[in-house]
Amino acid sequence: MLRVIGRKTSSNVMKVLWACAELGLDFEREDLGGPFGGNDSPEYLALNPNGIVPTIVDDDFVLWESNSILRYLAHEHGHGTLWPTDARTRARAERWMDWQLSVLSPALGPVFRGLVRTPEAERDMAVIGKARDAAAGAMAILDRYLGETAFVGGPEFSMGDIPVGIGTYRWFALPIEREDFPNVKRWYNALTEREGYQEHIMLPME
Amino acid sequence: MLEVLGRETSANVQKVRWLCEEIGLPYEHTNLGGPFGGTDTPEYLALNPNKRVPTIIDDGYVLWESNACVQYLASIHAEGSWWPTDAKIRGSAQRWMDFALGTLAPAHGPVFSGLIRTAPEKRNADAIAVGRDNFSAQLAIMDRYLGESEYIAGPDITMGDIGPAPFVYRWFNMPIEREDYPNLKRWYDSMAARPVFKKIVIDIGLQ
Repeated sequence: MLRVIGRKTSSNVMKVLWACAELGLDFEREDLGGPFGGNDSPEYLALNPNGIVPTIVDDDFVLWESNSILRYLAHEHGHGTLWPTDARTRARAERWMDWQLSVLSPALGPVFRGLVRTPEAERDMAVIGKARDAAAGAMAILDRYLGETAFVGGPEFSMGDIPVGIGTYRWFALPIEREDFPNVKRWYNALTEREGYQEHIMLPME
Repeated sequence: MLEVLGRETSANVQKVRWLCEEIGLPYEHTNLGGPFGGTDTPEYLALNPNKRVPTIIDDGYVLWESNACVQYLASIHAEGSWWPTDAKIRGSAQRWMDFALGTLAPAHGPVFSGLIRTAPEKRNADAIAVGRDNFSAQLAIMDRYLGESEYIAGPDITMGDIGPAPFVYRWFNMPIEREDYPNLKRWYDSMAARPVFKKIVIDIGLQ
């Protein structure tokens, strides 16, 4: 059975869990990282030299990098659903996966870590405020795009919605000022109707 | 014809041009961004709202994010070679593209922008030193991996090699201290021996 290694509070592990739910895939998850530790054990580093989560083991195939895991599982189990078969639709979906990695996550990360994982007395509100503004800039880009399409890859939900969808949950759940982004809100509302999103993403933030 | 928009000095533009030339895909290249400007015009923002390069236009189809562009072009023009058809090899190739995007490029950023794109009197030596250590630590991971694999995803070159290689060029050519990474060096030398890599990355140099 597919092994998923990583604590379920990690947004990158959440990508894999949500994808498994969408695909109806059985898996065994092992807690690791954060409060559970274990990232720097020789056994784990042999699987994933970065010492971060998630890692999957599928039979004997070991893979890390959450978006690559998502692509792999979508391709193996979700042709025509999570994995768009049309090259242009798939590339649009993958673009937003890359964008989550290169733009949204670096912007939103300091806000999340600052407000959720840092004790109040130790928070640097200037850093958090600046990062919030960067995150709002990223959400504005997403909002304009979603004015023209139901989901990020096109008219149907795909793997492309998963990484950005997790960041967007945090955008709406964090105690921050939020501009009005109606297209993001409409798309986010559609995500909240999905069982996998409810089960794995819409949770108290830790 | 395929259009590739973005200055030739951008590592992300280099990824796309490198693939095109390896697979013999004709394209029209326009320098844009950096000293060329043009990334904040309404026309460009309508194509790419991030104000970044590259953007490609393939017969009316607009795409940005360099790795997504490489994967798109490789999947339609180079399936079975640069875009591996074996799911595990492709997964591994994509992993190293994501690693380059999410880890290696951000690690190299402060070193490259500090040493190459900042005037000497304005450089922050501490930030550059910390950045160098971080960049090196990420390359140590690649070095270990390349001890067991000829190319990044197996015995053949794939799109997975394109993701990190322009940044590894910078490691070997910036004026910095370098640890000995023999597997990385062997792999890099095989990249540097490719005429297209020489033309698109090495001959452009550090700018």
